[in-house]
Amino acid sequence: MDASELRQQLKELMVSELNLEGKAPSDIDDAAPLFGEGLGLDSLDALQLAMSVEERFGVRIPEGDEARPIFASVNSLVEHIAKAQAAA
Amino acid sequence: MRIWVTGIGVVSPLGRGAGVTMDRLVAGDRAFGELGLFPVADMRVRIAAEVHGLTADLVAPAGEAEGWSRTDAMSVLAVREALGQAGLDPRAKPVDLILGGTTAGMFETEDTLAWLSREPSAITPFKKMLSHPLSSTADHVHEAAGPFRRTRSLCSACSSGANALLLGAAWLRAGLSDCVIAGGADGLCRLTYTGFAALSAVDANPCRPFDRRRAGLNLGEGAGFLVIEPERTARARGARPIAELRGWSVGAEAHHITNPEGTGRAAARVMRAALARAGIGPADLDYVNAHGTATPLNDSMEAAALREALGAEVDRVPVSSCKGQIGHTLGAAGGIEAAISAMAIDRGVLPPTIGLEEVDPACRLVHVTEARSAKLRAVMSNSFGFGGTDTVLVFAAPGHFPDPEAAPRRSVVLTGAATVGALGVCGTAASGAYLDPGPAPAEGPVAFQPADHLELSRARRLDRAGRLTTVAIQAALREGGLDLAAPGVAETTGALVGASFGSVDASTAFMRRIYDKGAKYASPADFPNLVPSSPVGHASIYLGLRGPVFAMADLGATAESTIESAIELVLVGEADAMVAGSVEEASPMIERCLGPICTGIEHRGVRAEGASAVLVEAEDAARARGGRPLARVVWWGSWRGDRPDGLAEAPPPPAAGEAWVLVGRDDERLRALVARSSWAAAPQHALAPRSGDHAGAGGCAVAAAVSALAAGRIRGALVVGGAPDRTYALLLEAASAVAGG
Repeated sequence: MDASELRQQLKELMVSELNLEGKAPSDIDDAAPLFGEGLGLDSLDALQLAMSVEERFGVRIPEGDEARPIFASVNSLVEHIAKAQAAA
Repeated sequence: MRIWVTGIGVVSPLGRGAGVTMDRLVAGDRAFGELGLFPVADMRVRIAAEVHGLTADLVAPAGEAEGWSRTDAMSVLAVREALGQAGLDPRAKPVDLILGGTTAGMFETEDTLAWLSREPSAITPFKKMLSHPLSSTADHVHEAAGPFRRTRSLCSACSSGANALLLGAAWLRAGLSDCVIAGGADGLCRLTYTGFAALSAVDANPCRPFDRRRAGLNLGEGAGFLVIEPERTARARGARPIAELRGWSVGAEAHHITNPEGTGRAAARVMRAALARAGIGPADLDYVNAHGTATPLNDSMEAAALREALGAEVDRVPVSSCKGQIGHTLGAAGGIEAAISAMAIDRGVLPPTIGLEEVDPACRLVHVTEARSAKLRAVMSNSFGFGGTDTVLVFAAPGHFPDPEAAPRRSVVLTGAATVGALGVCGTAASGAYLDPGPAPAEGPVAFQPADHLELSRARRLDRAGRLTTVAIQAALREGGLDLAAPGVAETTGALVGASFGSVDASTAFMRRIYDKGAKYASPADFPNLVPSSPVGHASIYLGLRGPVFAMADLGATAESTIESAIELVLVGEADAMVAGSVEEASPMIERCLGPICTGIEHRGVRAEGASAVLVEAEDAARARGGRPLARVVWWGSWRGDRPDGLAEAPPPPAAGEAWVLVGRDDERLRALVARSSWAAAPQHALAPRSGDHAGAGGCAVAAAVSALAAGRIRGALVVGGAPDRTYALLLEAASAVAGG
């Protein structure tokens, strides 16, 4: 799977799993922060997203502080998934 | 009026009995062990505080155990113990039961639901499913340890047990009851075990409340009940006071469905209100039994709240949490911890926090890490639940503080009504159309576009029941012209909305996912929506309601149960305004496995979806804000069992003008009841043929009554409703019929 396909699938997953009503995958900014400002997600979304990413892409996201840089943006999340998949 | 605690019953992971539980708490014992109740094959967390060797057949009548739950068994044992200690026989003296909980028979039914979801053709009515509705526990306690005069079932997640005691205290203070047994009960189940794990809220090791290294809670199970009575009548029958229940308060944080409001300001407000109700100050407090779950967020929030509420006294008042010994018993916790608080006063002992070794700087309090003797004048017990319902109870040594003033009973009016159903989202005027001739509704879901009524970006976490609930409450508030943004209004406005069966389909989907994919794929976002109080909790967050917020359930009389309870809370000043009603979302699972056994064979209306809400207000508060009372609550009542003359005390229809009898769902028993009353000659209308046959039909009847009264079509309305073995009646008059309004 190339990076742009992965990116598209991740955004579709976010819209459906986080019930981002009224948002299309294309509305999600690649570089914008996912939590707080930006998309306005919170810790409950982080848990749901981590579970869904593991289910969909087979990639585990570590808990706690280690998750923070991975969840910074769509870009960082795509990077983490791609790297983990390549290593597998 | 002083309220005495005269009996206590507890079933806990430390033992069956209040005394043995307290002995072992004081001894510092911990009840955690490898979970044996169900397999947890692929889970990181493997421990729990379990009540061992307890099954439903301990208390169920012969041959009936299949439809009873472990939660029922724990409740029955605890209620029997409390009644026994109080020296009460409910067959000889009227006793009312209020039961708080969240899971009821989830453990007994969750695997059946998951199996049913894989077998779409299976429609056998499963007797087992009888233990699923939240109200089934109160029904079974009524059967095995009663009978009780009235029963109510409520849920505010982890503060359920405390809110049961709060409603009971309100009843005593209002003179609506002379004796209440109230508390909470919850049994362990796969759904909560995997759900809390999915939220990363569970410590894999025995938990450490207030510790710097705390990593979450452990789940426990149990039941805790208290008998509470006014001093006067308790003394007259020779009862001994264990403690006084002196203060109570409930308020919603309106913040987040799972996370507490971090500053603790919301919880501090409720603590201060409970002390004010008790007529005491922080200087009178000698112990706080904390919620203390050992989750990172709860404990620092609670410490901050205590600091704000108690001021300088926080550096003197000892605090402990028993969750390091019995885990978090969820809906039971408020009941069990109330029992521990009362016993601490009676025994003169401070129970410890076990598991706390290194106090988190964010949780700086006077922690008790080893039990010690102490004379306790007053004790505060904190309970906080999902959705942000904070409840605080204050107990005191009998007779130590001056007799609190009796509550003035306030005049209660209805100022708005709303329905969501076949006719769309209707306000007060339009809801009256359910009384007019017309076609039956279509079966199944109503045509309802959430986007027409809600900002979806803020409502994305709300499932269908949450959206129906929020829209109904919002419409009722708008109809009544109540502005939550006005100063002080949000804090004194709450909501009681329930569903008879809860989110059966969502629970099924959650469980099936666990069985099919494994516990690690349990959905953290879906889990909080499975709690019965989730729809009303979401509504509170979305709308900013900060008064009393919880769910209630009573089968087909759920709306009647919430509306009468709201009237009772407003009557004694627990809130100035309450929106009350019910919601029933279309549910294929309910139709398949619960419908055939619970709704009986009479065809009363098309099984449909719907929600209803009415705005209940204290007349003085409504008039002070310029609101317009539409209907006055003249009389109401509820009772268990057959009372052919149950309406004998109801005042007759007003002398002038039309008066109607309204019922949600037509029923032979209700007809017979009305036929023996002074309302026998009044025209009768049943709502279900037009609104559909669902738990909201009774709420539609009240909404339609308000509509007809407001429009001047009638001057009085008697609304009667019920379900097997229970009846509710509410008498309304046009507001202008009594006062000049």
